[in-house]
Amino acid sequence: MNGYSLQVKPQRRFSTGNDIVALRATQPDRTSLPRFYSRILTVAEQELYDRLERPGLAFDHYTWLCWSIKESAYKFNKRNSPELVFSPLRITISELLPPASAAEGYYRCKITCGPAILYSRSLLRDGVIVTVVSDDPQFTNTRWGFQPIGSSAHADQSAAARALVLQELQATLHRDDLQLQKDEAGCPIVLAGGLPTGIPVSLAHHDHYIAWSFNYCH
Amino acid sequence: MDRRAILEELKKVLEPYTENKELLGNIDEQTDLVKDLKINSSNLVDVIIDAEAKYDVEIDFDSAEKMFTVGSCIDVIQEKVNK
Repeated sequence: MNGYSLQVKPQRRFSTGNDIVALRATQPDRTSLPRFYSRILTVAEQELYDRLERPGLAFDHYTWLCWSIKESAYKFNKRNSPELVFSPLRITISELLPPASAAEGYYRCKITCGPAILYSRSLLRDGVIVTVVSDDPQFTNTRWGFQPIGSSAHADQSAAARALVLQELQATLHRDDLQLQKDEAGCPIVLAGGLPTGIPVSLAHHDHYIAWSFNYCH
Repeated sequence: MDRRAILEELKKVLEPYTENKELLGNIDEQTDLVKDLKINSSNLVDVIIDAEAKYDVEIDFDSAEKMFTVGSCIDVIQEKVNK
């Protein structure tokens, strides 16, 4: 520990949610079947695809983009509503703005999740969709990232994701006494010196990729 | 179909999406598909569609969102099969 005093007040409603989808681990033919995508996309979201100015976004990729957004929103909300069950059709995407080009920028989205309005940013590149959700449209305090790893085994991915986010947290907070634990809802939380910091963390992994996000306000 | 018969068939539905196949030998009705079997959430729609084919039933959206434990899967499938 470097003597830096961490002063983060626990904030009950502070949250973060993320997700990652490795497209090579999905089945494009199955994803494009109505009986599959209709369990993820509402009718309005299916129509949104036709109106979208989408540079090179195939329909199955759009379906997984929406899945990733909805799963991230679910994880954001579950921290404050532990009883929540993931139901993609109950989380709706009302606006989706594509990046200026397929190679650069985010897909930005507005999401309705019960009474809450949330916002997402998604990267779609190198065959991976990475999403983070916030209730702040500017994502001012949100840090997020992803990384490929050698193993696709669940235990290896989980350990690598935890190690990666701890590394990012240590660099941000300038502390080396940080630990990750899960709260009663199973959501990751950060401890500093054994005490809760109130910093919410979200982790995701799929195939050979891991992703993380956290919210930190100085 | 009784619950035991549904469970045996359900293991076959879950098998392609379960990394550690040994876990399937010890599942019970409390087993959580994501937390315990480590099924990636992106495969949950696959599980529902495969269950529909396996049991020749149609699982509506409201029923599908209840299918997060082995027990709740059996509840839904049993209801649909016996309709």
